[in-house]
Amino acid sequence: MYNSSTDRRNFMKKMAAVSAMTAAIALFPDILFSAEPEKLLSESKGLDWKRSPCRFCGVGCSLLIGIENGRAVAVRGDPKSPVNRGLCCVKGYHSVLSMYAADRLTKPLVKKNGEYVETSMAEALDRIAFKMKQTIETHGKDAVSIYGSGQWTIPDGYVASKLFKGCIGTNNIECNARLCMATAVTGFLTSFGLDEPMGCYEDIDHADVFVLWGNNMAEMHPVLFSRLLDQRLRRGVTIIDFATRTTRTSMAADKSILFKPQTDLAVANAICYEIVKNNWVNEVFVDRYCNFRKGLTQMGYGLEDHYRFTDKAEKIDFEAYKKFLANYTPEKVAKLSGVSAKDIEYMAALYGDPNKRVMSFWCMGMNQHTRGTWIQNLVYNIHLLTGKISAPGNSPFSLTGQPSACGTTREVGTFTHRLPHGVVTDEGDRALAAKIWNVPVENISPQPTYHAVEMFRALDRGDIRFMWIQVTNPMVTMPKLKRYRNGSEKTGRFIVVSDIYPTPTTDVADVILPAAMWIEREGMYGNSERRTQYFQQMVEPPGEAMSDTWQLIEVARRLGFKKQFYYEKETHIEEIYAEYRRHHDNEQHNMAPLHILRSQPGAMWPYVGGKSTKWRYNSKYDPACTNGEAFHFYGKPDGKAIIWQRPYEPPPESPDEAYPYWLCTGRVLEHWHSGSMTRRIPILHRAMPHGYVELNIADAKRLQIQTGDKVKLTSRRGEIILPAAVNQRGLPAPMQVFVPFFDENMLINELTLDAFDPISKQPDYKKCAVSVEKV
Amino acid sequence: MKKRLGIISLFTLLFVVFIAIWDYSYRTGLECAATPEGGDDYVPMVMSSEKGVFRRDRYALDYARMPIDENHQRSLKDYYKNRAFPGAPPSIPHPVSDARSMGGKDCLQCHENGGFVAKWDAYAPVTPHPELLSCRQCHVVQKVRALFRATNFKKIPAPAVGAGANSALRGSPPGIPHRIQMRENCSACHAGPSAPREIRTSHPQRINCMQCHVPNKKLAADIGGF
Repeated sequence: MYNSSTDRRNFMKKMAAVSAMTAAIALFPDILFSAEPEKLLSESKGLDWKRSPCRFCGVGCSLLIGIENGRAVAVRGDPKSPVNRGLCCVKGYHSVLSMYAADRLTKPLVKKNGEYVETSMAEALDRIAFKMKQTIETHGKDAVSIYGSGQWTIPDGYVASKLFKGCIGTNNIECNARLCMATAVTGFLTSFGLDEPMGCYEDIDHADVFVLWGNNMAEMHPVLFSRLLDQRLRRGVTIIDFATRTTRTSMAADKSILFKPQTDLAVANAICYEIVKNNWVNEVFVDRYCNFRKGLTQMGYGLEDHYRFTDKAEKIDFEAYKKFLANYTPEKVAKLSGVSAKDIEYMAALYGDPNKRVMSFWCMGMNQHTRGTWIQNLVYNIHLLTGKISAPGNSPFSLTGQPSACGTTREVGTFTHRLPHGVVTDEGDRALAAKIWNVPVENISPQPTYHAVEMFRALDRGDIRFMWIQVTNPMVTMPKLKRYRNGSEKTGRFIVVSDIYPTPTTDVADVILPAAMWIEREGMYGNSERRTQYFQQMVEPPGEAMSDTWQLIEVARRLGFKKQFYYEKETHIEEIYAEYRRHHDNEQHNMAPLHILRSQPGAMWPYVGGKSTKWRYNSKYDPACTNGEAFHFYGKPDGKAIIWQRPYEPPPESPDEAYPYWLCTGRVLEHWHSGSMTRRIPILHRAMPHGYVELNIADAKRLQIQTGDKVKLTSRRGEIILPAAVNQRGLPAPMQVFVPFFDENMLINELTLDAFDPISKQPDYKKCAVSVEKV
Repeated sequence: MKKRLGIISLFTLLFVVFIAIWDYSYRTGLECAATPEGGDDYVPMVMSSEKGVFRRDRYALDYARMPIDENHQRSLKDYYKNRAFPGAPPSIPHPVSDARSMGGKDCLQCHENGGFVAKWDAYAPVTPHPELLSCRQCHVVQKVRALFRATNFKKIPAPAVGAGANSALRGSPPGIPHRIQMRENCSACHAGPSAPREIRTSHPQRINCMQCHVPNKKLAADIGGF
């Protein structure tokens, strides 16, 4: 027999330990020795720490989750993560509690004669497949639809797209990211030709100035905001909060500048005016890497059914653009926006200073905006004119709200017009998708159908008869909610909802499927900085709960698509991801292989030559740049980014005599999305137990309203009674009110307007007119 | 003459070159500042080294001399009451006047160095990470007791403390039974009048805690091999 040296060494060690112990016991008979001292040390006794991206917002913090006896029991920040560097926010630390509320859905429920009846998973899936077949036979394939979410994992969205676009042959796939990130997409596409930010979070370590455009980062992206504060401690950076409402971010910022709703368009143009006037233009950059275009104006607001709009770009030159800017002098814009000319000049000077690196951040303030694509174009204009883009610290950065808004909805392309690579209207893109999906290319329709708002309108009208809703809560989050709830409850509609808890959306369902959430299954999310992060299954889902991916696969097989949905149960996530990567097999979008994602806290695409790309379009960092110059905006045919001429236009509904107040809606630190998860986390619910309406102090005084008083808000679409919050978490400007949307018992979206950005089709939840009275 | 012309033209040439170089450097100076190389190394936001252990050294002798205020001691029960699980950020058990403040100086007034607060009849607990200024990103006030829906979350028991609980040998210095991420400064929780009595050290003046108290083997990273 032959013993390896390590075995011998171990054996010797053990022998030495035993003899030492024996000797010690003999020497000190009254002292107890423990053979295994670590057994006594208990916090992590049996705790197994596993890595996962956070379930909640789009920052994508990496968490280490403590598992004991098959249950998640603790969370800490992953110190190895370049995203959160060991820190989390209160939602992240308590995220695992969201799996354990007592009313978890564990059995499928089918509505029979108005009553929900428990049934088996197989029976529920049979029923769904039967209904889909029946609907397609009687009403055509464009009568079935799926409505998903930025909380879909990458495999969820991928199989949904494959089933609906590739196999069934309808483009009726949309997601709540249309309500959330669609404008960011059109902003990127119009200016650069390719979606998602050029920079990354590391820009925060290099930038000198941060301008937050309508972004209450301290509450909505707290971990990133902590990174800003950390840089301010270390390097003395400047933080500017440019917003319509005073928030925690305003309090923490070096300067808070308030503007009137919608006038950000004018202010952005005024900043460009100042940059041009003061010769702060980086002429070499503009000359080599930019084109000038103008688009259509007076686009309307999409308030009517069947509304359609396609923008047309017209070539202009720098001189014409300068002439256009002449209308936007700081003095003129000051009158419109309420921002003093001095403040406009100050912001322009920060952007214009050649020795300052500037980062712009935004999220829903600019996305949920009837001229949202325009305002994003205008902020890109500022960065392009000064050449402050695609380089460390110079970064216009669009933040996301959902854990996989980028990874799933935008990269997999779960929108009516998109494919995993490219768009349905492009023949080449259709051919590529059909090849990988193993379907005839004719299956994929070249015509986009309905965007999210129009999809719910179609459901109301009866053009859509079957809708499957996964991982989202539209009966809380749709604007002008009443119409869409009534529409979904009409007879002859069949609604399937996959969720983990009862919500107002499961209330309208004909079949409710219990879903396995987050770490109860395997999957990946993609965050705001193009980082794809993997998580393994850590705990068992309760009851019959099943992942959204597997629910879709089961139904697809029942519809006869066994060949396309060939995946093995044990390895399906790996197989799906490998198949998905083939769509992005190029230097501009290559995704990291799964073994890399498993070994580290995510990787940023394009992942080329074993490396994440931190700054796209910059030839120093991005291997996809091929024009031999310093920058290459390869999303556009001539490699040049576009500076857009976009004017100010008023919003569809402004306060008037009958409805004299602006209503803005949004989130709070403690709750995420529609609150169906965070409200079930005790510490979060106790910190923020219900919705409220924020009022300005002067308005409250005039109306004799104090914090806690009941206040009735009325818009042209509905009314609601809420408790008042005067000078609390946020302070709206005079004649403005703010209401968070997380509370399903106070549905503020019954009041909001379903007007949307004609280019992105994303609704504006930030501006409509209401009246306020004390009750 | 020729020589002089040569010298003059040489100087003219040098001058022109000087102007050209100066102009170039001036122009580059006007462009964006130099871009740093992107590396994967970064400074973590939470302290990764153990140097946090010495953070509040200057109070060590005061703590050693301070008599114990028997009537205002915190217990571990109080300590864990505000935490969803051992190691979770504690909630704020008292009202906070300004809802819009993120914390920072407001919280640090009392929680950076502690001290007796007559209003709450208690000693303010000391934060081990005063450099993280957005306090209310993780610590939230509990406004109500009621729940939205009941929960089945199970809180794991806190590490056992007391004589022998974490000691390898009887009477040997106990090991550290918890992770020290975000909690590198031992004296924040283990020294001074706000320290829970079960875990208050008898010798705060010793400063270099980890000289004798070492992290649990399982909590430290295993380098493998050998």
